[in-house]
Amino acid sequence: MLYDLGRSDVRLRWLVTLLLATLGTSYLFGAWMVGLYAGFSTTKVAETYGPAGEMMMAMQMPPETTVVSERPVSMAEMGEEMHHVDRDLLVQDTHVHMPMYAVIAAALSVIVLGLNISRSAGLALITLLFAAPWLDFAGMWLTKLASPRFAIVTLAGGWAMALGYAIVAALATYQMWWRKP
Amino acid sequence: MKTLLLGAAIAALLHITPTVVLVKRQDAVAHLLPGADQFTAREFHLSSADSRQLYDAVGWEPPDGMVTFYVGKHQDQINGALLFMRIDSQHGPLELAIGFDPRGTIRGVEVTKATVEMKPWVLEALRAGLTDAYRGLTPDQAPAGAAKVKPRIGAMPGYMAELIDKGVMHAAAAYRLFYGRK
Repeated sequence: MLYDLGRSDVRLRWLVTLLLATLGTSYLFGAWMVGLYAGFSTTKVAETYGPAGEMMMAMQMPPETTVVSERPVSMAEMGEEMHHVDRDLLVQDTHVHMPMYAVIAAALSVIVLGLNISRSAGLALITLLFAAPWLDFAGMWLTKLASPRFAIVTLAGGWAMALGYAIVAALATYQMWWRKP
Repeated sequence: MKTLLLGAAIAALLHITPTVVLVKRQDAVAHLLPGADQFTAREFHLSSADSRQLYDAVGWEPPDGMVTFYVGKHQDQINGALLFMRIDSQHGPLELAIGFDPRGTIRGVEVTKATVEMKPWVLEALRAGLTDAYRGLTPDQAPAGAAKVKPRIGAMPGYMAELIDKGVMHAAAAYRLFYGRK
């Protein structure tokens, strides 16, 4: 390890604890937001990021001639906008989220560097922290451009993010405040 | 550490603020399709050629190739159609509801969503009477609401007015090119 978080000054341990608590809280709200707008099943994720909400599975490519369909809708249905992320919005989402994900992964990786774990475990953990957002956005783009089946990649990225955070938070909290020197 | 903090600051600055609802979609429907009690969604999944035609006309095509008109009826008589239109900008998305009467002229325009950052700019443009400029336009007339209100509002509200002009232009082109097709 590059420094020993467990034996570090109390101010650094307090900083890391607050950082982890703040990130943990934001992750909880992140999960809530995912539940509201995208869902936790492959079907829901594919509907959100797939080629087009209503006609997702059947029509990924533009038809040879424009297809017109008409169906009755209720006032409530018109009000309930299905949250569908089209290409332009996904460009914007990727642009604004990837830098923040990188900063979060870097902050957690700096904590990993101070953990009393083997070099290979440290490497694996840092890889997991950075792989998670890549999987998340790769899944969204592949769901949109290739096949709705890639929704599973986005789900894997989300869970990997949660797993990476949980491992770092648990190890850091234990080594900072409970482990005997 | 300095790089890390700088990166965090830049990332925070780049982040788009959350979306806020300015007018509920149901209220926009009630306002733009008055008296309608039956609704249908008329969905157009555009061919490449039609997408290109739309792009050539107004420099825009729906990213997922779908245009949906909500048609309002009362006693089986069509009393108008409505389109929700999103306009993206570096400050985040705006959503408009553009209503057409049965003759195809614009009945009204509502800004249904904006971001927290954009809301005061949009409200200033609306208070200056921006959407009045769209009422009665035919689908082949270019909207010029921004030019009308810009002398009376700030730079950013003026920019919002330009974005709203653009959204109305996109909706009008979609109406002109596709709405009547069976």
